[in-house]
Amino acid sequence: MNGRDQELINRYIYQVVRRLPRDQRGEVSLELQELIGDMLEAGASAEEVLSKLGDPAKFAEKYQDRSHCLIGPEYYDNYLWLLRIVLTCVIATVVIVSVIQGIRDGIVMSDGDMTGAAVMAVGTGIANGFTGIVISGLSAFGGVTLAFAVMERRKIRFEMKKEKNWTVRDLGDNFTGKQKIWTPGNLSPIPHKKALISRGDSIAGIVFIMIFGVLLIFAPQFFGAVFRDGEAIRTVPVFNLDRWNIILPFFILSLVIGLADEVLHLVVGHYCRLVMISSIVTGALQMILLFLLLKAFPFWNPDFATELELYLGGQNGTGLNEIVMRWNGDFVSNCLLVFGLALTLLEVGSTVYHTLRYGIEDPV
Amino acid sequence: MGEEKDLRSSLLMELRRGTLVLSVLSQMGEPKYGYSLVQSLEEKGIDIDPNTLYPLLRRLEKQGLLKSQWETGGSKPRKYYHRTDYGTQIYEELKVQWEELSESMGKLLKEGEA
Repeated sequence: MNGRDQELINRYIYQVVRRLPRDQRGEVSLELQELIGDMLEAGASAEEVLSKLGDPAKFAEKYQDRSHCLIGPEYYDNYLWLLRIVLTCVIATVVIVSVIQGIRDGIVMSDGDMTGAAVMAVGTGIANGFTGIVISGLSAFGGVTLAFAVMERRKIRFEMKKEKNWTVRDLGDNFTGKQKIWTPGNLSPIPHKKALISRGDSIAGIVFIMIFGVLLIFAPQFFGAVFRDGEAIRTVPVFNLDRWNIILPFFILSLVIGLADEVLHLVVGHYCRLVMISSIVTGALQMILLFLLLKAFPFWNPDFATELELYLGGQNGTGLNEIVMRWNGDFVSNCLLVFGLALTLLEVGSTVYHTLRYGIEDPV
Repeated sequence: MGEEKDLRSSLLMELRRGTLVLSVLSQMGEPKYGYSLVQSLEEKGIDIDPNTLYPLLRRLEKQGLLKSQWETGGSKPRKYYHRTDYGTQIYEELKVQWEELSESMGKLLKEGEA
């Protein structure tokens, strides 16, 4: 065997093993050396041997026994569908935010020159919008994909666990002693009509979370009092933007938890124990986060009242002034906390009710 | 024409695939290395591509049906496979199933001829 043949063989083996998991490479490499050596001894040339073995990529594929897919067929439809919704509302929100920001910046920077303002508005709007769409579009895509990929992996583990724990799960209703054998009794019933979760509700929830999230990330200053001050438009943010870098992650975490819960509702499609538990856990976590945000962090803009008063100083006697005078972060926090608690209790309560009333699977 | 040929070869491959494990297990009462297995199967009229056989041997070992050992005494290191007790037990069971299946298939196919 000459040097060229040896080189071809080494390249071939390399092309196969580089596609395999690291811990198998050494062993497979030895096996292939043995195989190719034997085939050469049987009288074939190196080129003939390698042609017979065929494309190294396909050879390597045969060594892999697990399926390579991030999101399997079971979830794929839901994944594409949800991705479309999420991307649409993220992009729509970014566009709207950029347009408004562009207009505002244009007015601020142009000192009343309308053409200048328009050019400015278009320029900054497009620049901000483009970056915004790229960044938020990619994050939304990544987030949705990650969520589904995790579900795909979880599901696989879930099913395996189910098989192993069949005895425990089955003890209650139709324990037969033969755990791993499927019987028609294992069929979960078709969900009660009233146990079905409305797709519209889930989508509404998801759309709201996405829009709120994008606004919080890209335009937190929008949440505040907006008014005209001569030619300029001024906003006094209601949030404490100086500490935004601490506050925002909590907001986002809370939204992500909410989003995960909504996606689960959407994918499962009917009330059942899993959905109920997820709802309870989500509700509890969101309440904790809300409490932390409102009570433990400098959440509100501490200068909100004074700043607003400063700008509104001239215009006396309006109803707005009354509100400003009475502005009290603590009071607002308490109101929001009560409101959030009521909303969460309502949401969790409705889920628990629907699950217990219609969603628990009766043994056949 | 090409498509027809593809279909035929893919159907044939599917048909053979089911018999591969049984063919391999049948030869593993004695320790054998990969290429000697290819040759002994070929002699008996069972063609198997080495690029199918080698991964299959690894899989069967992972499933506990075969056991392997590297022999370094000869001119070059060789990996010898042989059936485990579990492998033999499975093989005997599969053999019975195969005989029943081939008998039934025989009947089915004769019916078609008549």
